[in-house]
Amino acid sequence: MSGHRPALVLCAWLLAFAAVPAFAHHSFAAYDKTKIVNLKGTIKSFQWVNPHVQILVYVEPAGGGAPEIWSVETTSPGVLTRSGWTRNSLKPGDRVSVDISPLRDGSHGGGLDKVTLLDTGQVLTVTFASEDKPDTP
Amino acid sequence: MSVVRWRSSGFRSLALSALLGVLAWPAAAGEGASAASDAAAFNAPPTAQDWLAISKLPDWSGIWTPDMRDQEAQETSNVPPWTPAIAKQMIQMAADEAAGKPFLIFAHCFPEAMPSWMLIMHNAFEVLFTPGRVTLLGEVDGNRMRRIYTDGRGHPADPDPSFHGHSVGHWEGDTLVVDTVAILPQAYLAISEAVGVPNDGGMHIVERIHLSGPNTLHDDLEITAPKVLTRTWKTTRIYYRHRAKKYDLVEGVCVQGDYVDGIDAHGHAIFVPNPGPAS
Repeated sequence: MSGHRPALVLCAWLLAFAAVPAFAHHSFAAYDKTKIVNLKGTIKSFQWVNPHVQILVYVEPAGGGAPEIWSVETTSPGVLTRSGWTRNSLKPGDRVSVDISPLRDGSHGGGLDKVTLLDTGQVLTVTFASEDKPDTP
Repeated sequence: MSVVRWRSSGFRSLALSALLGVLAWPAAAGEGASAASDAAAFNAPPTAQDWLAISKLPDWSGIWTPDMRDQEAQETSNVPPWTPAIAKQMIQMAADEAAGKPFLIFAHCFPEAMPSWMLIMHNAFEVLFTPGRVTLLGEVDGNRMRRIYTDGRGHPADPDPSFHGHSVGHWEGDTLVVDTVAILPQAYLAISEAVGVPNDGGMHIVERIHLSGPNTLHDDLEITAPKVLTRTWKTTRIYYRHRAKKYDLVEGVCVQGDYVDGIDAHGHAIFVPNPGPAS
């Protein structure tokens, strides 16, 4: 199913971020910041925990067969809250398109760039405060 | 004599502390310990004048976030003066990262520690002023906190090493000057999350923290680490102020990420080890 094939897109890395598999506590150095891989699938789980939120996604492999589970990591609940997320932003079963920077070792995982909820069109990204100017009234 | 009068008198507070010290340790008093030395062993209760002095300090309220682009730029523009042996290791670490095999310095739940917290953190922190102390509070790893004593004390003669070391500070105008020693030798001197080295002991850090603009804070660091640097390394790190409530710090317990929600045999909500994505 070609529509579910992870598409490899080279792009400039615009956001530095600290993304880490929750059970390994990696750092953003684990991900290839020069690449973006697009995944289309459904949410398996959304773990809203420190130090890094973890999203598991069922992705149907290009050649068919059982869905693969991809582990997508992003930053902390604190930073995501500042970016407009909540602990209910994603739910199991949600159909999504996810852009990630892939793990450098080629395994099924990466650091989140953005996720689009296909049923609503809502786009969730990570905005580190350093990109903003000082915020004062 | 009212309680208020007692609390408003620093001298009487010190005298009370000294008295309590004598009462608590009669053996020491009996050995000739002076009231003054006993008083120095206690934290005097703050006076009204102490709180008034706090109100005259520069306004560092709000939430501060690091300039991460500047952090990344300094990875190449302001390289620490590594010793030759360490420089070789750093070149190898950078090459490993470029080759897709980064050494993940913080792939654990220890604090980033000093000075890496100030150098390469990605998260927000806040600064609290209370009499005799400045406290930095961060988030994510659950133990990201610095206590900087500003009550005039020096470093202990033989302090226990810790991740953030022992810090004393004083104000020079609107600049907080901080001196930090007793940092664990295992604490990394890191310039990125994949390039850095344990300081191996003997590190000494002097910071001058000050506003460089209405909402920009600078930390001018001078880092002396004789086991890994040939000379003192100077760097300035930049933080921006935010007042929107969405920036308020949240609790962060690093090891929580190692677990997922579970239920025990009695139906209680518990944490169970995270089985990973293959489950």
